[in-house]
Amino acid sequence: MILTPKIVARIALVGLLGVLLQLSFFSQVELFHVSPDILPALVVCLALLGGSLTGAVAGFSIGFFVDCLLVEALGVSSLVLLGIGYLAGLYRERFEFRGSLVPALLCMGLTLVAELGFGAIQLLLGIDAPVSVLIVRDILLKSVYAFFLGWPIYLLVRRSLRPALVEEPKVQRRRQPKVLGV
Amino acid sequence: MYRKQVRRRRAVLALLIVGSFVLLTITYGQGSNGLQRGVSTIFSPLQGVADRALKPARDLVDWFDKTFDARGENSRLKSELAKSREQAVAGQEAMQENAELRKLVALDRGPVLAASAYEPVAGRVIARSPTEWRSNVTIDVGSGDGVHVDDPVISGNGLVGRIAAVEPGSSQVMLLTDHESAVAAKVVPAGVQGVIKPEVGNPERLILDFIDSTKLVHGGQTVVTSGWRAQGLASLFPPGLPLGEVTKASIVDQEAKEQADVRPFADISNLDLVQVLTGGSRG
Repeated sequence: MILTPKIVARIALVGLLGVLLQLSFFSQVELFHVSPDILPALVVCLALLGGSLTGAVAGFSIGFFVDCLLVEALGVSSLVLLGIGYLAGLYRERFEFRGSLVPALLCMGLTLVAELGFGAIQLLLGIDAPVSVLIVRDILLKSVYAFFLGWPIYLLVRRSLRPALVEEPKVQRRRQPKVLGV
Repeated sequence: MYRKQVRRRRAVLALLIVGSFVLLTITYGQGSNGLQRGVSTIFSPLQGVADRALKPARDLVDWFDKTFDARGENSRLKSELAKSREQAVAGQEAMQENAELRKLVALDRGPVLAASAYEPVAGRVIARSPTEWRSNVTIDVGSGDGVHVDDPVISGNGLVGRIAAVEPGSSQVMLLTDHESAVAAKVVPAGVQGVIKPEVGNPERLILDFIDSTKLVHGGQTVVTSGWRAQGLASLFPPGLPLGEVTKASIVDQEAKEQADVRPFADISNLDLVQVLTGGSRG
């Protein structure tokens, strides 16, 4: 990805819209008693398109913004999201990914990592109440939702950052010449 | 060249990780700071607009979710209705008796009516925490509407939480299901006192903790705020606000753990409109 001030502004806008959509829509709807969390998937998609550095910075910034809006202790969401952003970017840099399932599977896997990481940090900081086993169901269902939402998020993010993407031009197949009379 | 890039990447990553830990160390347990207040003030009108614009889509998803739940809910509600009818008859008798007794002792304001000293301010939920580990919502009323930190927040069904932070145009509500929440409560009519605490990850279960194991609590009894006041200290919540219904109170749990299970009256997962009780006297 070629980062110009315009593209950085676009990434910031994508992050802002993603956070607003999460807090005003996805966090307030429930399917099977669990709300989807699109923020890890959004960070993964940004990292898959921009690499590990873009992923880490985007994750940190999105987490920081969420914590500011929710008036929570700063740093928790940043730490988790920068971690998965870096991991997704590293995957993109180390391995060549082909196939449309890869972004969705990465979104699912890294959402699971993010939710577990978030839980681990909260437990380390101290929880003043017992923890229900239903939290396991929540974490697993959030990962499943991330699988289904990952692909459309990836397409939307790729579309919005298209001018910055360095893509190999598709090799166009030439039509077979028609042999007259056959 | 490549090594330089890798080194730069690692340096930025290390900087961000250290930055996160520094932020966490500085801000953990400190409440809202100037930066958060500023960001929240700037973006709360935008959140309000997004909330209103996305409400039809939210309602559609909720409709699908509730349709799945409706079948199981129907039989439960039928049995609850039958029980409520019995309680309503008993309640009417008690109210009549209560009115007569009040006249006798010339009490025009009982403790349950202390909530009327509060000025209710209606607010709409405009944002919600994305994770189950935290349980708070943002509402579209703030200090400009007379809201203060620690004001009780109620919905049509009972207490839902208290104000944790206030900005001019919005406030953060710490819900009953947040792990830091604790509300002094009592069971009526048994009179057993305790503290309502959440179970993280399960918004449909609260725990009535530290109850007196010598007095037994039974399933179906109502739990309300106790609103105590002693030696200059007072509960943050007025007395008599409905909290929930005792669902499971085994003798073993009560005697060994001094606990009982409570189902909250308020649908804490699907809050839309709430009221903040501003002013008034605590406890």
